[in-house]
Amino acid sequence: MNDTGTHSLIRPALAPRAVAHTVSPGLWVLAWRRLRRDRLAMVSLAIVLAFIAMMILSGLGLIARDWTREVGVNYAPPTFVGPDATEAAPAPAATAPGPAAAAPPPVTGDWEAEVVDPIGDVIAELRGAPKPDSGNTATPPAAAAAPGQDDTGFVDPLADVMREIEAARRGAKSPPPPPGGTGAAAVDPLADVMRDIEAERGAAAAEHGSTRRATLPFGADKWGRDVIAKTIKGSETSIFVGIAAAFVATLIGTVLGAFAGYYGRWVDDALNWFYSIFSSIPYLLLILAVAAVLQHKGTMTIVLILGLTGWTGVFRLIRAEYLKHKGREYVQAADAIGASNARRMYRHIFPNVSHVVLVQLSILVVAFIKSEVILSFLGFGVPVDVVSWGSMLNEAQNELLLGKWWQLVAAGVSMALLVTAFSLFTDALRDALDPKLRGSEGS
Amino acid sequence: MAHDLPERDLAAAAAASDPLVQVRHLGVGFRLDRDTVFEAVKDVSFDIPRNATVALVGESGSGKSVTSLAILGLLPPENARIDPRSEIVYAGRDLTRLPRKALAQLRGADISMIFQEPMTSLNPVFTVGFQIEEVLKLHRDMTGRAARKRAIEVLAEVGIPEPERRIDYFPSQMSGGQQQRVMIAMAIACEPKLLIADEPTTALDVTIQKQILDLIAALQKKHAMSVLFITHDLAVVGEIADHVIVMRNGEIREAGSAAAVFGAPRDAYTRALLQCRPSLDCRPERLPVIDDFLGREGPASVDIPERARGVAPDDAIVLSVRNLSKSFHSRQGLFGRREFQAVRNVSFDLRRGKTLGLVGESGSGKTTVGMTLMRLHEATSGQALFDGHDILALSPKAFLPYKRRIQIVFQNPYASLNPRFIVGQILTEPMDIHGIGASAQERADMAFELLAKVGLPEASFYKYPHEFSGGQRQRIAIARCLTLKPDILICDESVSALDVSVQAQVLNLLQDLQAEFDLSYIFISHDLAVVKYIADEVMVMSEGEIVEIASSDEIYRAPREAYTQRLLASIPRGWQATRRTKPAPDE
Amino acid sequence: MWAYVVRRLWQMIPTLLGVVLLVFVLFNLFGGDPAYVLAGKISNPEQIDNIRRQLGVDQPYWVQLGIFLKQIVTADFGASWSTNEPVSHILATRLGPSLTLLVPLLIIETLVAVGLALAVAYVRGSLTDRAVMVVCTVGLSISILVYIIVFQYVFAYKLGWFPVQGWGDSFWTNLVRYASLPILIGLVVSIAPNLRLFRTFVLDEINQDYVRTARAKGVSENRIMWVHVLRNASIPIITHVMAALPGLLIGAFLLERFFSIPGIGREVILAVERSDFPVIKALTVYVAVATMVVNLLADLMYKAVDPRVQLE
Repeated sequence: MNDTGTHSLIRPALAPRAVAHTVSPGLWVLAWRRLRRDRLAMVSLAIVLAFIAMMILSGLGLIARDWTREVGVNYAPPTFVGPDATEAAPAPAATAPGPAAAAPPPVTGDWEAEVVDPIGDVIAELRGAPKPDSGNTATPPAAAAAPGQDDTGFVDPLADVMREIEAARRGAKSPPPPPGGTGAAAVDPLADVMRDIEAERGAAAAEHGSTRRATLPFGADKWGRDVIAKTIKGSETSIFVGIAAAFVATLIGTVLGAFAGYYGRWVDDALNWFYSIFSSIPYLLLILAVAAVLQHKGTMTIVLILGLTGWTGVFRLIRAEYLKHKGREYVQAADAIGASNARRMYRHIFPNVSHVVLVQLSILVVAFIKSEVILSFLGFGVPVDVVSWGSMLNEAQNELLLGKWWQLVAAGVSMALLVTAFSLFTDALRDALDPKLRGSEGS
Repeated sequence: MAHDLPERDLAAAAAASDPLVQVRHLGVGFRLDRDTVFEAVKDVSFDIPRNATVALVGESGSGKSVTSLAILGLLPPENARIDPRSEIVYAGRDLTRLPRKALAQLRGADISMIFQEPMTSLNPVFTVGFQIEEVLKLHRDMTGRAARKRAIEVLAEVGIPEPERRIDYFPSQMSGGQQQRVMIAMAIACEPKLLIADEPTTALDVTIQKQILDLIAALQKKHAMSVLFITHDLAVVGEIADHVIVMRNGEIREAGSAAAVFGAPRDAYTRALLQCRPSLDCRPERLPVIDDFLGREGPASVDIPERARGVAPDDAIVLSVRNLSKSFHSRQGLFGRREFQAVRNVSFDLRRGKTLGLVGESGSGKTTVGMTLMRLHEATSGQALFDGHDILALSPKAFLPYKRRIQIVFQNPYASLNPRFIVGQILTEPMDIHGIGASAQERADMAFELLAKVGLPEASFYKYPHEFSGGQRQRIAIARCLTLKPDILICDESVSALDVSVQAQVLNLLQDLQAEFDLSYIFISHDLAVVKYIADEVMVMSEGEIVEIASSDEIYRAPREAYTQRLLASIPRGWQATRRTKPAPDE
Repeated sequence: MWAYVVRRLWQMIPTLLGVVLLVFVLFNLFGGDPAYVLAGKISNPEQIDNIRRQLGVDQPYWVQLGIFLKQIVTADFGASWSTNEPVSHILATRLGPSLTLLVPLLIIETLVAVGLALAVAYVRGSLTDRAVMVVCTVGLSISILVYIIVFQYVFAYKLGWFPVQGWGDSFWTNLVRYASLPILIGLVVSIAPNLRLFRTFVLDEINQDYVRTARAKGVSENRIMWVHVLRNASIPIITHVMAALPGLLIGAFLLERFFSIPGIGREVILAVERSDFPVIKALTVYVAVATMVVNLLADLMYKAVDPRVQLE
């Protein structure tokens, strides 16, 4: 989207003419100019870009890498609130922070037990116990609990992590290392990583004993992990899932919609049949059904679940657009000059519906971020060793009853901020791209 | 005719002393964005006398509709701004300063309005009875039964057959002409003093247009009301207007009695408008265009030699169509299919270098003929022999070389160019596809050449379609066809959406190109005057069938079929041809 | 009209078959061996074999598909894997609470959203309009989870205005006592998107020619809004509300879960948590059928409100 008025589509060979041949700004350039005049849109865009930058930095490990470190005391309040006198020195934290923290402190009696799934507590307790199959005796139990504790998951997070490590080791080296076999470290590709982790844990353990802070800038969760780092990491997951799934869904919807709308007849009938199947099952039910079936979870799994089920809206719109444009005179004129079907579909019609695709993409990002949050909240979303806004809200639900509101606010506000900015930007984008489109809500 | 001129002027003068509506210094601007205001109407002043028909004539963008909407206060409040100097005086009150409530009481009762598109102007979800009764209950305090009785009365008055039954119809159950009659019934139900008619016949077929014009004229006379008639077509108002106001670019160019404006136009633009439009009486070599009149001093005498049209028996036949039929199917009932025969058994010959005019009303199948010949629709049956091959029977691949040689120019200049292509791409793409020109440079050169040929500057090459006006876009569309050096050009209502002055330019261009490239045209149009001007042979279609084919001069002079006769009788004759005599109001 | 209904019902068959196929492929091909899922902690090979035989999963796929089809036709999906409760009984008993929550929610929400949409559209372009739209956008951006958590905490837990959760046997007790806070939250969450949508529907109509005609007739702005515009805007509104109906049944699952309302949505979540395949399969198929029927009803209603529509 450059603003200079040059146009790459015109080959230089066409240029040498004795006329002033500045190519007129195309519709994208004009839309960008309109958009740039819209102050609210630009602020929204800046916020969205900031979040995306944060996602990339966090994904590259440049920020919030050690979000799992327990840098504060359990439930350390935000600095501006001041240390909590009653909770400043949690007794168990110093010795074995992992297991102790996993069991929520007893509060508020019956009511809490009703809201939280009762099994959840039992499982959390079970999980807190040291695992016999830890595989590597060099791993202290306290540290083993560190990566991604989550009290809602019904799958033991630890087991998953350990299984993966084990599998990786077996893949690299045929005989599994004997328990405590540190001698294999020289050839073990994971050994370096493990050593790093251990070193880090050592440092963390040292910290636990002495320097866990009473307050953090925006507080800590129940294990004493920094809420800000956690929120950044959670944003990474949620935004990535939202954007990736939106790309998958938009791609499927656009391609199928274009074929159905353009070719009509039996192609349309077949694709419409396919569409009617997906659209007659309510979206959330479909997602939950797929989530129920796919037992092995991962971030990519949730991307696929959302992407493969969420394309119907795009399909409907793009099909209608192609149907409309197919009958337009400029496409008939293209037919008359002998343009092939492929040429008419991609060279002629697609640029004229691309703004619809872009707006749909933008709408879907927001919708999928919301869906991801709900799925992860319910424990059907991202795996338990990954933090997302949804899993944060899940923890926050119980924390609120203890008066620990900061995780709820951090996840809730950052999500609201991003989604508001994204929605406002989408609206402005739609208006800028096609003022006539105003009002067609991609529900 | 000449004898009633002074009498009419007297009547006009008498009426002017106490006009029904006085418009003074009307100015309307539209805010386009934060700091751009488009001045649609600039300092316009005129009177609407009592019991008279005033025609407000102008091309698109002249501000005529804005003026009429301003009288009723119907301009969109979001972005329209009325100049504070403006005054619209009706019955001693300035309508621009009237509170909303008082204005609403006048609307529909004292001043009412009908619009161009009756289909969309009627509320689709209410019966016509409901909509007419609504206005009666509102302004006449009528109860349900009385309102219904009166509604049936006015429906009968505007010529709706079986009004007792039709009153419960929804607008979608009626034809376009009937819908406009319902609009008129609604407008006159409270016997207004002024009826504003904004292009009321533009969307209608020529025979229906004639009926509606007659109806408005009769009602005007019967109720002694005033009519403000807004139109782009001088010929339409020639028959009914007492006073004519010609507008251009938001300003009044000329105003006066119909006799004065039509008989001895003072303004160059008015003269241009009167002469740009093809007339049925003569066929000049080329049509005069606005530039012939504007920028010239004194009365322009545009004397252009006549052009001969017609076909000779030994003219070579380029395309021979035999028994062409096209049906569309729609589903009906549980298993049934309904067949709609758009074109039935059509046969004709097109001669090289000649123009075949194809006229008919909407739904006559004339456009379908063109689409079928282009194979944009598959024909149901029939042949089209071109170069000895039946192009309808060829495989798509075998058809490709012939496809190049038949091209089409569509009606809507705003939709027929891909908005995402620059003109250069639009013009080089066909050559790309068909391998015309050895290199990109050669193709670009040819595109530049064609741009010059259709009268567009070279810089157009780098512009997008939205930067051009309707007439310019139509030139681009024509240039696109010419890139393929076709033998046959189908013009499907190609000049119908253009303003009269632009229409003349495009028609001249088409004639020049025909002479230069020996093109054969199939010229499809509902406009009989344009077809008369440009066609050698005319084919009249109705309900999918050919009614009559004859040489252009012959068919207009002596139509054989009743349908053709009816069609020709409906053409607005303009001011000179017929003139009703109307008693002055004081008689 | 009847020809239309019959043809539409006829056209549902391929779609329904597609849904059945989709569900079958999902659960029988990708779902892993249900015997292991079902046996779970028991993991006794003999038992697993037994279960496999009972479920028919040792049969070829087409036989399994046949079993599934038979289950659908006879409405007998067997028993829940977790609770042994017959699936048909689960569906029958969970529908009531869901409807108690959803019907009032739907009615109030539609009425409020339509009223607000007309009001906002009336002052379109004004500061009020823009402010309301921004509030809507922000309100929409806050996760429904945050609303539920905060509302439950504040209104039920802290202030004690509503019971925190629960469900009784009496319809009125349920409606007034237990359903009111969930309905309130549902309103807060759903009015914003609907208001935005309905406003665009109304604005689309306001710019139509017939509104100009009504003004030219001298009809008051109020009457234009409430009679002319509303009647036309109700066409897309009805379509939207009808289309959202089946989704709503599931969509309220969060409310049902948080407030322990024994409805369909909560049942779905429980079933997914427990990998209770028969319940999910049955729910998916029946909700799909309900969706198709509702869509047909929507089209028939469409005909009733819009005289232009020809049901051909």
